[in-house]
Amino acid sequence: MSDEMMMDQMLTCDDVMRQLWDYLDGELTPDRMAAVAAHLSVCTRCYPQYDFERAFLRAVRAAQQDHRASATLRTRVQDTLRAEGLAGI
Amino acid sequence: MDEERPANAGQVEFAGIAIPWLDDVARFARHLTRDPTDADDLVQETYLRALRGWHTFSQGTDCRRWLFTICRNAFIQGLRSQKLVVCDTPELEALAAAAVHADAVEQGMGDLFSRVDLREAIDRGLGELPGGFREAVVLVDLEGVSYDEAAGVLGIPVGTVRSRLFRGRRLLQQGLLSHAQDAGLAPARVTASDRGAR
Repeated sequence: MSDEMMMDQMLTCDDVMRQLWDYLDGELTPDRMAAVAAHLSVCTRCYPQYDFERAFLRAVRAAQQDHRASATLRTRVQDTLRAEGLAGI
Repeated sequence: MDEERPANAGQVEFAGIAIPWLDDVARFARHLTRDPTDADDLVQETYLRALRGWHTFSQGTDCRRWLFTICRNAFIQGLRSQKLVVCDTPELEALAAAAVHADAVEQGMGDLFSRVDLREAIDRGLGELPGGFREAVVLVDLEGVSYDEAAGVLGIPVGTVRSRLFRGRRLLQQGLLSHAQDAGLAPARVTASDRGAR
């Protein structure tokens, strides 16, 4: 077992809290992702905050409104690009 | 071989690669400007700059990210001043998030985000975030880009992206908790005197 894996298996609650956002964003190394997941699966102190932050991120993503480019904007952009010499649109 | 490419090859590529991201750029511009008219102006400027600079785009790289970068640069150049809060303590921000969670639990709102439809409040809250924080939250949480990609778009170190993202999320959470309290979304709290009266 590598030293890094040993360290990963010894994560404290503070360690997990410091890396919780990185974990939720999938930004940790695979070993560290696995270690945090293992900690969360058994820690009654950390899991509720993980659940809270995960629900928050889901709510924010769900709030992404369907701001599509309007037909007017699409035409305006195309006209501008044609005037600039772009063909084929 | 380049010599054999038709004269309009670049234009065809632009139309096929850049134009399909118009909705994404329009959405990003809306988040940056918070104003529909300004957003449309910004999208037009973005595509004009993109066409003029198409020769600088590296084929095979992420065109959406390239357009976001142009859009953001055009937005900043249109501002008279840009006040960005310097913040380089992402670990402390991560720990501060624990305090927000504790407050939410204390107020009986530990399950607020999964229990209540907060879409309008979130959209409003995003608009109230300081620009630097809003950019990070929009790119990572709404557009789904990585920290590294967001750093490329914003032209800042990855550590600063993390700081701004975490601070932005915390500010947004605090605003949502306040909103929930004001809107009466928090469960009624049972006090000791209430219990004694039963």
